[in-house]
Amino acid sequence: MKDIKAKLTEKIKASFDTVSEKDYNGNRLDFHVDVKIIPQILTFLKVNLGYIHLSHISCVDWLEEGEFEIIYILWSPVEKLKVFVRTRINREKPVLPNIDMIWRQANTYEREMREMFGIEIEGLEGAEEFLLEDWQEMPPMRRDFQTEEYAEKTFWSREGREDAIDVREEIIKRSREEIPDFAKKYSR
Amino acid sequence: MSFFDLKGTLKPLTALKQFGKKPHTIEYPKESLEAADRYRGLHYNELEDCIGCGNCSTICQNKAIDMIHIAGIEGSDGDSGLRPRVDNGRCCWCALCVEVCPTGSLSLTKDYLYVSEDPNSFLFTPGLDNPEGKDNLSFTTTEEESLNVFNRVPMPELEGMERVKSFAEVVIGYNEEMAREEAARCISCGLCTEICPEHMHIPEYINAIANGNDNDAIRIIYDNNPLPEMCGKVCTRRCEDVCAIAVRGEAVAIRWLKGYATSTAKTADITYEIVNPEINKPNGYKVGIVGAGPSGLTAAYYLALRGYDVTIYESNKKAGGMTMYGIPKYRFPLDSLDKQIDYIEKIGVKINYNTKVGKDISFEQIYNESDAVFMGVGFPQPWTLGIEGEEAKGSMQAVNFLHEVNDGEQIDVGKKVAVIGGGNVAIDAARVSARLGADVTILYRRRVQDMPADWEEIEGAEQEGIHIVPQTIPVKIHADENNKVTGIEYLMSEMVADDKGGRPRPVAIEGSNKVLQVDSIMGAIGQQADYSFLDGKFAEKIKIERGRIVVNENQQTSDPKIYAGGDAVNRTADAISAIADGFKACKAIDKTLVGKTD
Repeated sequence: MKDIKAKLTEKIKASFDTVSEKDYNGNRLDFHVDVKIIPQILTFLKVNLGYIHLSHISCVDWLEEGEFEIIYILWSPVEKLKVFVRTRINREKPVLPNIDMIWRQANTYEREMREMFGIEIEGLEGAEEFLLEDWQEMPPMRRDFQTEEYAEKTFWSREGREDAIDVREEIIKRSREEIPDFAKKYSR
Repeated sequence: MSFFDLKGTLKPLTALKQFGKKPHTIEYPKESLEAADRYRGLHYNELEDCIGCGNCSTICQNKAIDMIHIAGIEGSDGDSGLRPRVDNGRCCWCALCVEVCPTGSLSLTKDYLYVSEDPNSFLFTPGLDNPEGKDNLSFTTTEEESLNVFNRVPMPELEGMERVKSFAEVVIGYNEEMAREEAARCISCGLCTEICPEHMHIPEYINAIANGNDNDAIRIIYDNNPLPEMCGKVCTRRCEDVCAIAVRGEAVAIRWLKGYATSTAKTADITYEIVNPEINKPNGYKVGIVGAGPSGLTAAYYLALRGYDVTIYESNKKAGGMTMYGIPKYRFPLDSLDKQIDYIEKIGVKINYNTKVGKDISFEQIYNESDAVFMGVGFPQPWTLGIEGEEAKGSMQAVNFLHEVNDGEQIDVGKKVAVIGGGNVAIDAARVSARLGADVTILYRRRVQDMPADWEEIEGAEQEGIHIVPQTIPVKIHADENNKVTGIEYLMSEMVADDKGGRPRPVAIEGSNKVLQVDSIMGAIGQQADYSFLDGKFAEKIKIERGRIVVNENQQTSDPKIYAGGDAVNRTADAISAIADGFKACKAIDKTLVGKTD
């Protein structure tokens, strides 16, 4: 496995300069690449190196860093190796190149990413409503989407739940603790 | 092609090889397929293990979980008595509730088919309504997978053999980064506040530290504890015993986080600036307090804030009581105590040092001059061992020894020291003797696991090279012709189960006498109060039972004008209970006196 990984890294680095790799135990190898070369490197892996299978596309919201991370997971049935191609894009204006001409099935992932994270995919076929119906809010998989608030205003409260008790208040009542008002903002 | 196709006739017979095998088609009667191992179906809650912390309810983004009372489950220490109930109409089976459950009692099962015509039946209490779910668990979380952080940020400490060279503080304390990380582990359930005698607002100040607002943390802490830096170093921290995280991991370091917050205010002036206490204008009432220990200081601080004229009478030259004279300086440095006393004096509390009530001033005078009196007199008198040879030179009481060392006196304990007892006083005396260069042995009559001292203290003593000999009963102190201690004779004991259900008793083994050669012997088998300051009239009036002053729930003694608190009243004998007593007495005095004028 080590040889396979070393050879693959060498071949990738010979063709692309802005690539860094990270090795993991077992049959996994990660490449961190610039978003500009995504179509090229994926085509290269598929056509020249035998990574013919696109297993998955994943997206991570790095809210604090102001970035989205997109991860393309490829598989070679010959080398039995998983290759993660990772890239980061700006969260404010997220734009990704379309890769559905490399793998047709990527279209489904891309439409989902577009809807759930609000990432624009250049030249995407079927860039329209996908899973969510009449969605007016911020894309719901973004971490700053207030799920609880949304659930509160969208779904009505049923009857029969009025006996719910706040744990902190129950403890305060039992021990007769007196919390000053200025401290209450730090309560759960 | 021939008329008779042999191949075509025989070929179908090959299907016979499947005879007796399990068919791939659906069988009759129909069997339902089993769901995948990690399938996220309906919840199951192990009601016995659940502590009702409510973390599941807080994390739920769909507001699907309520905490409710269930018949037959009562709250207790470290258990709110509430249990989660899930609205399966709202649940989306994200299983965050399972991943944040500190006890691991909540999990998901493989059951996902639930058909009912009654919509209310979708509102169900896991564990209560589906006890069979236990055998069908799917999504559970181990300590590693849980989103809770179960490991405490390690506290930097001095190395064991490095410590005995000086009286430098052993626990170095968290820095800012460590404190924020440790504070972030708290899940803010608040179960800890109930067991704290003083009911400090623990989740609130820890949350303030986690949010980077140390000043708010200090203000919250000072709301009901005027000696938090002391508590941040030496509190018995029962809160940490019931921490929800401690069920599967290490408790949040509540004591050290409090210590961190208070240490960010370097001087009494800075503390004053941050706390910015609101001091009521004088209301004309006078309160006299006997003893400047934690209970007296607490009552004094909060009474002074409420506008009372407070005077404390202290027989020693420094305030703090046992926290000043009983706790060694490597656990609680002098400047840290001074800072807190300075702050308390700054808000207007008067402390008369070197004033022994009953000698320098009579109790009656204080009683007559004040509108209310608070006694926080503690247990200063040690119990003696009651064995032969105790009056020999070199035989002393551990409490007196600690008092003198803390007072700055030089004491020669010799090369070898034996300490008798298993409480914190015994361990403190042993560790102090080790710092004075002695080889120390602790003799305790029960087993090590029965020692009432904090385990951290016992461990610390062992790291510092102190020997602990359990199950030993001292019988005689040997002395030479100059009446100087030469050794201690003891019997080994065996533990005998108590028929009445109490803890096992040590029973001496006849003839197992051994002698340990030592230069000094320190008794640390407990202390008692000294009520000699109460002259005739008050001695009769104030009810004392088994050495403790009897008080009602307002800390009021049998004389309604006299209140009492601290070690001489409660059975827990720790500083935080004394602080709680002082605070309760303050509220009661305020209610009686100020309430009267309204």
